Amino acid sequence: MSKAVLVDITKCVGCGSCAVACKMWNDLEYRQDSPIMGKESKLDAENWTNVKMVEIEKGPEKETVWRFVKNQCLHCEEPACASACFSKAFQKSKDGPVVYNPTLCVGCRYCMLACPFDVPKYEWSKVIPLVRKCQMCPDRIRDGNSPACTEVCPTGALTFGEHNQVLNKARETINKDSKYIKHIYGEKEAGGTSWLYISDVPFDKLGFRTDVTTQPVPRYTENIMHLTPAVGLTWGALLTGMYVYNRRRNEIAKEEHSKKKNDKKKK
Amino acid sequence: MDEQFKLEKKVTRRSFLKMMGGLGLAGITASIGGNMANASEQTGGRGWLPEQYQSSGTWPAQVRGRVPIAPGNPSIARDDKKCILCGQCLEVCQKTQTVFGYYDLPIIDDIVCINCGQCALWCPTAAITERDDTDKVMQALQDPDKYVVVQTAPATRVALGEEFGLAPGTFVMGQQVAGLKRLGFDAVFDTNFTADLTILEEATELIKRIKGDINKPLPQFTSCSPGWVKFCEYFYPDLFPHMSTCKSPQQMLGALVKTYFAKKKGIAPEKIYSVAIMPCTAKKFEIQRPEMNSSGHYWDKPSLRDMDAVLTTRELARMLKKKNIDLTTLPEEKYDPLLGEGTGGALIFGATGGVMEAAVRGAYFFITEQQPPANLLQLNPVRGLEGVKEAAVDVPGVGTLKVAVCHGMKNGRKVLDAVRKGNAPYHFIEFMSCPGGCIGGGGQPRSAVPPSDEVRMARINSIYQADARMKKREAHENAEVLALYNDFLQHPMSHLAEELLHTDYTNRGKRFIPLQA
Repeated sequence: MSKAVLVDITKCVGCGSCAVACKMWNDLEYRQDSPIMGKESKLDAENWTNVKMVEIEKGPEKETVWRFVKNQCLHCEEPACASACFSKAFQKSKDGPVVYNPTLCVGCRYCMLACPFDVPKYEWSKVIPLVRKCQMCPDRIRDGNSPACTEVCPTGALTFGEHNQVLNKARETINKDSKYIKHIYGEKEAGGTSWLYISDVPFDKLGFRTDVTTQPVPRYTENIMHLTPAVGLTWGALLTGMYVYNRRRNEIAKEEHSKKKNDKKKK
Repeated sequence: MDEQFKLEKKVTRRSFLKMMGGLGLAGITASIGGNMANASEQTGGRGWLPEQYQSSGTWPAQVRGRVPIAPGNPSIARDDKKCILCGQCLEVCQKTQTVFGYYDLPIIDDIVCINCGQCALWCPTAAITERDDTDKVMQALQDPDKYVVVQTAPATRVALGEEFGLAPGTFVMGQQVAGLKRLGFDAVFDTNFTADLTILEEATELIKRIKGDINKPLPQFTSCSPGWVKFCEYFYPDLFPHMSTCKSPQQMLGALVKTYFAKKKGIAPEKIYSVAIMPCTAKKFEIQRPEMNSSGHYWDKPSLRDMDAVLTTRELARMLKKKNIDLTTLPEEKYDPLLGEGTGGALIFGATGGVMEAAVRGAYFFITEQQPPANLLQLNPVRGLEGVKEAAVDVPGVGTLKVAVCHGMKNGRKVLDAVRKGNAPYHFIEFMSCPGGCIGGGGQPRSAVPPSDEVRMARINSIYQADARMKKREAHENAEVLALYNDFLQHPMSHLAEELLHTDYTNRGKRFIPLQA
């Protein structure tokens, strides 16, 4: 049911068609100081995806190679942003995309703190700012199409399909060809994501965070927070018990005090 | 008085708490109601062009990927704002030029690109266009210390007028010179001068190959198209020995301006800023080739470059318009002497088959020392837009000179594969990277998008008609070229000619992974 995309970094030539397609489909602005491609490009409020160029020394001969990395939201299986959002502005839809509902957002930016990949970006320049990130074209996916970026890739670097199909294709590809690193980025990171990457150069050299936990990020808080009702009830019961006990003691103390006074008066 | 300021209703503690409680309940209800909202109303887009196309998928708007352009590409640049993902750049690069898609992935450290600029001609929104060098040239023109020299390619004089509303093919040679003079160039030379020079050098080389005087194989390939040269360097480096060692006319003139011209006029070569007006975007790449500093070696200053800037026909038109110079109202003016004379044979370099026809005229004269017959002054088999053309020319006393001409690298590949197999029984082959030859170059006015054969033929016909009108139609008739040999170079392929006018090539075959067969 859940859809995914495989990004084969060896096949990317850095044409930027995907980034332009994203701008076209989502009606995003082009900003002079915020390029969508090249060494200086990065995600921001109007760049929901970018193609970053990296020069790497590869292999034992330290041959310099150019690689192009498409960045965007990884649409985690158990997203930290959705867990951190108390307004339910971020939700994981059943088709796969982690979708943002701007009408529910209050602009607290907890999602930005929570995301292990630093994906959601804020509209700093606006008076009523929203959080912006790749939506994985949910209406296109609902109609059975691939996201806009995947549709236009001319070299086949982006493959769209069911999550397990895409994962199988990734496994097949890296096992069949020895040039690939034997790791699928996104298979286990943050508990699994919908955007998977395979590459022939180490992921840390490409700018990926390789120290991300394999436990889904929401579990860290869920482990503690699921105790809340139990703690609440227990503590409530305890305090109620103490209150009742102390009230009874006060009543008894008062009774004894007034009895003593009456006795004194009688004398 | 105090009574007037008393509130009508007293707010008691009870009523205040009631109000707060009510608000709180309302807030809780709103929160719960909001949390029930589902994810369907998401942010993001509704379509390719949201105002017009509300349907899903790629219908009716066809969106396709585009060509990769390396960030440091000296010839072309792209404005993403204007890109509509029509995919025409990809179409021409893959189908007409056979460059994109003809290498395996991953890339190494180079985006395979021959800088031909056809993508710029096919781009409907001009998102892809030439890299702008007009600011650089304007600065040099305004610098009182610089002696700014310019040369014009033959193909520009049948197309520049189109940027000013004239019909495709209108011959504006004189007006172009006048315009350049008004822009402030100190000397205006004609690339036709060195086109004639190229004929003399290259025909000499061809005859030496045929006779066996130099140990190089036949067929000989022309080498004046930098897009074609780069294509050969990528995909057919094993065929380098076939490539003529002659530089392109542009580079020959660049080298001569900073040596021969500088000496004759007594100008310090570092003060010369050499510009070329070209129909070609690959020329911007060519001037950056490391080996293009022969004039620097001549003066023992290797940092001195033969050429400093290239402007396309479109850029020149922009510069003229910025200065409010209307080409159509200008008088015809002449090129400056010393490097300004060109014959009809040089003029036809701009058309596909032109280099070959001019070379045949020259070779005939060299071998027989007689004027070529009339059919060599209109060598129809090599004229026109057919992809691969052949001709056989009878040279009395020697035999038949077999030649071939091709334009567009898809056609080039056919011929090259035949040469590799040994199936190419020619002596001489002309390769042009752009369909139609230079008149269809990546820097030419976008009179038809994508370029049409009609526009190409109009420009080609104009060139051949101008050639027919000229008194001198063969390279050896060029008096200034003969003076150059007399005063400076001595004879074709002399030691000095080899240093200044000849070059070698770079194997780029290892910069990418070839396609697995």
